[in-house]
This record gives sequence, structure tokens and C-alpha cells, in this order.
Amino acid sequence: MASEPADSEKGGVREEPNIHVELTHAHLSAQTIIDRVKSPKAGAVVLFAGTTRDTFASKPVSQLVYQSYVPLALTTLLSIAREVKSKHDLTAVSIVHRLGEVPIGEESILIAVSAPHRQAAWRGGEEALEETKKRAEVWKLEEFVGEKGVWRANRDGAVGEKVDETGEGNRQSS
Amino acid sequence: MSISSSDTPSTYFTILYFAAASDITKKRSETLTAPVHVSQLFTLLDKKYPGLKDKVLCSSAITVNLEYVDVDESMSDEEGLVIKAGDEVAIIPPVSSG
Repeated sequence: MASEPADSEKGGVREEPNIHVELTHAHLSAQTIIDRVKSPKAGAVVLFAGTTRDTFASKPVSQLVYQSYVPLALTTLLSIAREVKSKHDLTAVSIVHRLGEVPIGEESILIAVSAPHRQAAWRGGEEALEETKKRAEVWKLEEFVGEKGVWRANRDGAVGEKVDETGEGNRQSS
Repeated sequence: MSISSSDTPSTYFTILYFAAASDITKKRSETLTAPVHVSQLFTLLDKKYPGLKDKVLCSSAITVNLEYVDVDESMSDEEGLVIKAGDEVAIIPPVSSG
């Protein structure tokens, strides 16, 4: 389950002016993503850092492992970045998700947006996160201490069912 | 996940299994014989991996060459998309990023 990634599962980057999306096996750097969206035009930068928690429903989690369909996830992240940038008039957007094993307490996702003013940056940043959790083709395996891992879903799972906001899939991480 | 078409014999398509799908198939990808109607894919896979339909496929989406496709098992053979040799198909279970 947590074996070395094959070549095809290595991360990737998609970029266009003021937009950067990335999937990577490397540690995430908050400063790097902030620097990427900073601009003299933007008075506000909002950063979201999602870190892995050490319990799920009071069971100890040893680590999380993320898997992705990289080319499709990058396309999805790029379209999310474009949508929120245009909708909230953002200056720049960057979304970076980590893949592979992520030890407890480390960042699995960073989202940074910049805007001329703070309201747009807050809203744009939140929407970028919610859309990413809903749509990006990334899967999280929770490995429990002394137990088999469980693949999580950010929604309840069954097709056509209403997403339960308090559902267990939403409680873990971020 | 780009598997170059030169590796795939000309009568086969590639199918990718992620997350819960790969737990049941015990593999991340394989090649299957083309052509297959999308409407028949779930039945074909459930025959090969009993229980896959109920446990995973019923809540999953399908992509063909990185595009989401409709899976309507009520469609007849003459309707809907046909998976061709060289195509890359993926089973997309409910996602869980963040």
C-alpha cells in the first residue's frame, strides 16, 4: 500500500500566468507557496495549510498515504484555480497537494491566494479548498496503529446521495 | 499515469484502479481486451472481481482518456461510448484529498 511510487505516479506541475497547481512527494513549504502568489498588486495573501491529524474517531492514526490519478487531478486543480481566480478577482492562486506517505503533523495540502483586498482573498481561498476536496482526484488512506488502512471519502460515497456535512469522511484532516 | 501505447498490444485497453478499487483487484492497472461498451464495463469487471460492483463501482465514476463518461447500464449496445484499443480507462472512487 505504501510502496515506492512508480514513475507514472510521480507528481507534476501545471502553470499559467498567476496560477500554479502541483502534486508532489516532497515536503510542502508554506513560504514557497506564499512567495509564489505575492504581488505588489495584492494587499492580501491567504494561506490554508491542511495537516494530518493523529486520531480518527479516537483511534490512533499512524500515518496517511495519498494516491492520485496525476494527469487528471492536475487538470481538475487547474480548472478550480481558474474558476476561483476569475470568480473572486484574485491576483494569483496556487494549490499544492502532497502524495505518498505523509507523517502525522505534516502538511498534506497548501492553498495560497492573493487579492487586492482581504475579503476576496478569504472567500477565494475557502472556495479553492472546498472545490479541491470535492473534486480533485486524490485519495487518502488512513493507516491505524495495528490495523488495516481505510480509504476515506470526502463525501458519503454512494452515488446520488446527499453529502452529509457531519459525515465521517469530513472529520479527518484539514 | 501515462502508459505509452507502444507498451499496449493493439487489441487491448488499459484500466487503472485507484484507492478502494485497487484493494479489491490487488493491482493498480491491467490491460483488457477491446472493444468494450462502457455500459458493459461494470458487469465485466464484477465478473472478474466478484463484489467489486457493490463495494466500489456503484459509487465510482469512470474516465476514458482523462474525460468523465456517463455509465448507464440500461443503454443498449448501439448507444453510449465504446472503449477502444489503446484507450486509458480509470475507475474513480469518491475522492478524499485535503
